[in-house]
Amino acid sequence: MKDRSLRGHLLRLLLLPVAGILLVSSVAAYYLALDPATQAHDASLIDAGLALAERIRTNAGITTVDLPSAAEQVLRTDPYDKVYYAVRDPAGHVIAGDAGIPAPLDQRNARATTMFYDAAYRGEKVRAATYLAPCGGQVCSITVAETTRKRDRLVREILIGSVLPQALLAVLTLVIVWFGVARGLMPLHRLSEEIRKRSARDLRPVGTAQTPEEARPLVGALNQLLVEVQESHRNQQRFLANAAHQLRTPLAGLRAHAELALAQPLPPAARAELEQVHSATVRTARLANQLLALARAESGGRVEPPAQVELKQLIEGAADDWVHRALERDLDLGFELKPAGVHGDVLLLREALGNLVHNALEYLPRGGRITVRSGMRPPAGPDAEPQPFVEVEDDGPGIPAVERERVVERFYRVPGTVGTGSGLGLAIVREIATAHGAALEIGAGASGKGCRVEIKFGVAKAA
Amino acid sequence: MRILIVEDDPSLASGVSRILEAEGYAVDMTSRGEEAVEAAKRERFDLVILDIGLPGMDGFEALRRLRGAEHRVPVLVLTARDTVGDRVHGLDLGADDYMAKPFAMPELTARVRALIRRSQAQTGPRVTHGPLMLDTVARRAYLAGEPLELAAREWAVLEVLLGRVEKIVSKESIIQAVAGWDEELSPNAIEVYISRLRSKLERAGIRIRTVRGFGYMLEDFKAS
Repeated sequence: MKDRSLRGHLLRLLLLPVAGILLVSSVAAYYLALDPATQAHDASLIDAGLALAERIRTNAGITTVDLPSAAEQVLRTDPYDKVYYAVRDPAGHVIAGDAGIPAPLDQRNARATTMFYDAAYRGEKVRAATYLAPCGGQVCSITVAETTRKRDRLVREILIGSVLPQALLAVLTLVIVWFGVARGLMPLHRLSEEIRKRSARDLRPVGTAQTPEEARPLVGALNQLLVEVQESHRNQQRFLANAAHQLRTPLAGLRAHAELALAQPLPPAARAELEQVHSATVRTARLANQLLALARAESGGRVEPPAQVELKQLIEGAADDWVHRALERDLDLGFELKPAGVHGDVLLLREALGNLVHNALEYLPRGGRITVRSGMRPPAGPDAEPQPFVEVEDDGPGIPAVERERVVERFYRVPGTVGTGSGLGLAIVREIATAHGAALEIGAGASGKGCRVEIKFGVAKAA
Repeated sequence: MRILIVEDDPSLASGVSRILEAEGYAVDMTSRGEEAVEAAKRERFDLVILDIGLPGMDGFEALRRLRGAEHRVPVLVLTARDTVGDRVHGLDLGADDYMAKPFAMPELTARVRALIRRSQAQTGPRVTHGPLMLDTVARRAYLAGEPLELAAREWAVLEVLLGRVEKIVSKESIIQAVAGWDEELSPNAIEVYISRLRSKLERAGIRIRTVRGFGYMLEDFKAS
């Protein structure tokens, strides 16, 4: 099973060695410190034994210990431990001191004059040293024992003094790894945050200035991918531009010839047929334009880099095209334009607006009135920004409330609609609005009659 | 009037040329940019209709060479591409107008007329629009051969409109063109001049359209 968490993985990798090192170093420290200390204590036991040996007297085969009580007091005095002693005559009888102190088990066989051993006396652990001293040509044994409080204390001190810091160090190491990983991964977090905040259309390479060395290959691979996406994007745009060119030029020719033919005297039946050809050509051209626009809008296919667009100027620039069509259809096309700056793709915005105006021109009966507005809506709240908007209002048949959701679907047309629309216009407008972080609102005209379609900007983050 | 059409699609080229011939223009055609540049340098044309998407030397390059040779012939650019960049690029290179394919023939002929008229206005003292004739040197106007009385401001407004036939001219741009530096002209004043011009010109079939909230448009004159 793969370890998905880098932190867990690192911790697991570190835990065993750290624990091992802690154990080994603790044991080593313990014994390295304990041995000399034990030897020092043992030596003081021997010193006491040697002092006692000085006091053994042998007279006519009788061994006695001449120990004044003051001297015994000195011998027994220790700030921490109880000190016991026993002097045994060659026969093994205790002739002085505390009778119950265990003698070394292998006393008789021992060659050494001094033996150390652990034993128990009066319910306490004791450390004992037995010294074999000559007495009257024979061998007496002197045993000095002390309780192990001093030694236990020493062990505790060693443990606290050396093992505890090491244990703390180990724990600290693991904690540092735990937080260090999080901290070390911070630049990656920032990086992913930066990438997450990007719009889908922003294909600029990710900057490497803030990136840690280790993450450079990742960013490099990502940038490589972005370059490839951009390239395929460019190819798609080239394809769209070529497709547009390949479609529009013959359509322009077809339309020119149809119009030429219609300008000549023709039998009525032929004229009617030719008019069909002409209107189908015009429709096909518009459909081709719309499909190209839709492909461009949804593929995130900016033809131009996003720029500051003044909607008022955009409308003024496009108004010529619309006014001619309005005049042909005897419609009153008017404008109420106030400055409204947005950030976006001028071509797509122009397409969106063109679709809205075209819809009005298409569905309005003769004599109808269309008004194109632009400007800033007052802020929605105290902290909100004013919202740029464009809207097209007409006094035509309008869109029934129940249909307003559906008219933005592709190829959907309100049942019973006359006219030659493809049902793509509003779908394109919505696509473009969404790409600009704008909302498309469809409602009734000011007097409750007709239709009002608004693109309100600054509603969401631009894609 | 002689027009050079530079278009590689034979069907569109023949369609456009026949429509323009029907309007009374003499038309020459080529499908190659190099040839167009040579022809325009060699002979005199009143207008060049130039497609951008040509094989070999494209329309932009042809336009650059024409303008590089100090040729002032009016150029109407046709394109099937719809990038604003193309449009701006074309106008930067010195195109006089720009049309996206496919287009309606009446619109093409209207623009052709407007371009030729504009270039004549720049080169000659006389501007005509149907029965209307302005002698810009003598500052005299004639309608159907009869002298037409125009106040100075009316003359100025009419000149602006005549420079941009079939295009919307915003009220602001009329004010800018008509008012001197030290004068304040209200949009209402412009309305007054327009209505006076209308009353003088409409009987001859010359129409000035109001584009509500925006400005005015002098319609192309169609003899009926």
